[in-house]
Amino acid sequence: MEAIGGLLTGFGVILTLDNLFVCFLGSMIGTLVGVLPGVGPLAALALLLPITFTMTPVGGMVMLASIFYGAMYGGSTTSILLNIPGEAASVVTCLDGHQMAKQGRAGAALGIAAIGSFVAGTLGVIVMTFFAPTIATVAIRFGPPENFALMVLGIVCTLFMITGSPVKGALMVALGFLAAAVGIDVVNGRERFTFGSVDLSAGIELLAVVIGLFGVTEVLNNVEKVVKSTLVAERIRGLWPTVADWRASWRPMLRGSGLGFLLGLVPGGGPVTASFMSYALEKRLSAHPDGFGKGAIEGVAGPESANNAAVAGSIIPVLSLGIPSNAVTALLLGALVIHGVQPGPLFITQRPDLFWGIVASMYVGNVLLLVLNLPLVGLWVQFLRIPYRVLFPIVLLLSIVGVYSANKNVFDLWVMLGFGVAGYVLSKLKYDLAPFVIAFVLAPLLEQSLRQSLAMSPDGAMIFVQRPGTALMLVSSAILVALMVRRKPKGGS
Amino acid sequence: MKKNTIALALLSALLATPAAAQNDDAKAELVRLKPNDFPTAPIEYTVVYPAGGGMDVTARLLAKYVEKWSDHRIIVNNRTGGAGMVGHAYLATQAKPDGYTVGIIANLMWGDAMLRAQGRWTYTDLEPIGYLNSDALTWVGPTEGPYKDMSVKQLVETAKDKPGTLRVATVPGSMWDYLIEQVETNTGAKVLRVPFQGGGAGINALAGGNVDIAQGFYSEFRGLADAGKVRPIGVAASERLSFLKDTPTMNEALGGNEYQWFVIRFAVVPKGAPEDRKAYLGAAIRAAMKDPELVAEYLKAGVYFDPKLTDPSRMQANLNAYAEAERAFYVKTGRLK
Amino acid sequence: MFERALNAFWILLGAAAATYAWTLGLIGASGPESGLFPFLAGLIIMGAGVVLLLRPLSEHVAPDFPRGDALWRVLGVIAGLAFMAISIPFLGFAVAGFITMVILLHTVEKSSWWFSLALALVAIVVVVWLFGWILGMALPRGPWGW
Repeated sequence: MEAIGGLLTGFGVILTLDNLFVCFLGSMIGTLVGVLPGVGPLAALALLLPITFTMTPVGGMVMLASIFYGAMYGGSTTSILLNIPGEAASVVTCLDGHQMAKQGRAGAALGIAAIGSFVAGTLGVIVMTFFAPTIATVAIRFGPPENFALMVLGIVCTLFMITGSPVKGALMVALGFLAAAVGIDVVNGRERFTFGSVDLSAGIELLAVVIGLFGVTEVLNNVEKVVKSTLVAERIRGLWPTVADWRASWRPMLRGSGLGFLLGLVPGGGPVTASFMSYALEKRLSAHPDGFGKGAIEGVAGPESANNAAVAGSIIPVLSLGIPSNAVTALLLGALVIHGVQPGPLFITQRPDLFWGIVASMYVGNVLLLVLNLPLVGLWVQFLRIPYRVLFPIVLLLSIVGVYSANKNVFDLWVMLGFGVAGYVLSKLKYDLAPFVIAFVLAPLLEQSLRQSLAMSPDGAMIFVQRPGTALMLVSSAILVALMVRRKPKGGS
Repeated sequence: MKKNTIALALLSALLATPAAAQNDDAKAELVRLKPNDFPTAPIEYTVVYPAGGGMDVTARLLAKYVEKWSDHRIIVNNRTGGAGMVGHAYLATQAKPDGYTVGIIANLMWGDAMLRAQGRWTYTDLEPIGYLNSDALTWVGPTEGPYKDMSVKQLVETAKDKPGTLRVATVPGSMWDYLIEQVETNTGAKVLRVPFQGGGAGINALAGGNVDIAQGFYSEFRGLADAGKVRPIGVAASERLSFLKDTPTMNEALGGNEYQWFVIRFAVVPKGAPEDRKAYLGAAIRAAMKDPELVAEYLKAGVYFDPKLTDPSRMQANLNAYAEAERAFYVKTGRLK
Repeated sequence: MFERALNAFWILLGAAAATYAWTLGLIGASGPESGLFPFLAGLIIMGAGVVLLLRPLSEHVAPDFPRGDALWRVLGVIAGLAFMAISIPFLGFAVAGFITMVILLHTVEKSSWWFSLALALVAIVVVVWLFGWILGMALPRGPWGW
């Protein structure tokens, strides 16, 4: 099997002192970047790209890749401890992870997140090793109609996540669509809802929305109460997941891995979408969906696995075809070019050392990250003991830097503040904030792929029926909606 | 592919010898022009497109070599948004003209200035200090399916016979659109325009069989072309590209002279920057541009060097001429009064 | 009472958005135009606002907005963040951040002056060092060059 041969080559490349060190360094930086609220892998990669110039191509690419998946490990930490997402792919981890922390189970949550990430990352790389070229050839056929169907599925999944009043939930989804429309309409280049402002013509920055709605809102909610000196009053009950936790988590981990991997492959997918859909999937499949949002460990295991698997999924098109599926992989592509490497389908045959070196580094990196993160659980949990009056200004300061790092635009800070206040007010009135964010992320992709599909179809809307993959997904969405409507009388209000 | 390597090697060798001598001249000029008090902090190279893209790679390579020749630290900063609009507006209206901000931009800025700036700034608010390279927009066709062996002429004929069936990838509001528009107006063909956010996305769609023709730059399709998944069929330049000798120009294929659309990459500073700093920054870029390694890197990416712009004394005048020609196009097609 | 106002706000917002979207055009030659999605979203928001407004009073949620000290703390955080956003372009990140940290530490949670100033200084120095120097991010500078 040539894949095994390639992998051995790769291990030969990666298991040198230099490359191991670089992998370790990248993993650490990635974890740190993931932990810091707001600063995500994209910003970190953009900042650290010049440092890789002095390295060999293998070293440089290994470091960048390890920052990417390292960030997915670290992102859950602040989500669980402080209810503030480390980056957009960790938003859903806040929902149940932080509740678990409030119940004194932060250790278990962090542990499951780390292990889920490891399982997913490793499984993803294994699939990558043996099937990368085949998968890539299939993935490239994924066009606008398939994207559209996938996004519809995503929106339907969002509806599953709505707790409480469905009317308020629908309102938040619609608001998400509206907010996503601010900016330039990519399909025809026209400005929408920008009212002449240059800042708005760039659209509303996702990071500012996420940190505002989940970070600032959280801080506002907390300072309002006379917080007993520390954030989590409950005594921290043990650092490790219990047997019950394992039993509940292993299936979500596997499902999350599969889902995340597939979503990483498609354009516009990636870790963010993967985490949302995994959460919705777990909630849908769970025997006790009402437990979600109150500390259900499946709500941590699934999404955290999904976002790591999505990293492996999204790297496949880059390495096998030279095609990026999101902004981070586009950056990795640029890095390859700067290092004098020509990405494309011939990359694997022209530079097997580099291709397999990167793949092998992902195995090594996942192990390194697990080893790094598990002991750190004990350390992170101590953070909860810092008096809140000291913790929250530091967290806010880091959030400000994080949000600013996205576009270097002070306007984003106003967006963050605005959404923070809005989120605070709305949460008091029992509005669910997560559906807004998901709709905000999915809406542009949904709209764009719909209009692209119609533009490329001589037969108009028939294209959705003519293509098998699309038709399949759309039918699934319809079935899911029907199931949901039928289940409602038992469940929601 | 082998032909390309040989061509590159020859080209590099050709450029190396006189370039080495020129390098020393450039370095001496740089030392002479350096102001006493500048720079005391890192210089920002602002790129208005996302990290990893063609423009970003150009800027980072340039920064690497400028740092090598001039010893001042450069930070490449991506100010993205609005397909470049946010960054252009920042450079033209907000960036301090103190020499610490240099914009690495493309002629796409002119479209923003003329059509979308709403009178707040014009392209003359950004003064060019150095020319980098040019990239010609290229039509790329499939290697599978019913169109796989057709030339541009044949494809246009197909589009005339069966209007509304040929799917062409475009980026709305930019030269991608304009080229299609020209072809349609001149030949009477009618295609289906499929919008994408960039040329690269369109080329990926082509490789996946989701569009029939894509438009992009050599660096975007080279990997797929070398692997036989797509093939370049027409170049919107005045003459054939040296590394695509077998690909006709659009003018050759369709007749006439107006199918010329290319990206010009150049460095600017906001208007009002002190002259001595401007001169120094320009000299630094020129020194880097004479480095044969940088030239070789750029050539690998499939750019060409427009002889009208490589001469520093005529660069600004010729850039303005190109800008005004673009304005004339907008007026002719009714986009501008 | 507050909730009624909010519902009215939704209705107005939805109506305004739908109207603006209408002017962008809804359906064009090749499918939806720029305005279609925002139009539908606006309609849904308006509709939801109406439904919520018409609910019987028993289903209304009485928001427990903070009063007294708690209110001041919340406003203090908001003021701190607003100050940061306003002053960064003039004072640069370092100084604006320092002042904001002091505001947050001292006025919101009533730490002592000494502690607030010390912690703010340490925090700002570490952040500027980590992001500005090590990671090479260009943090805004004040008129004093840093």
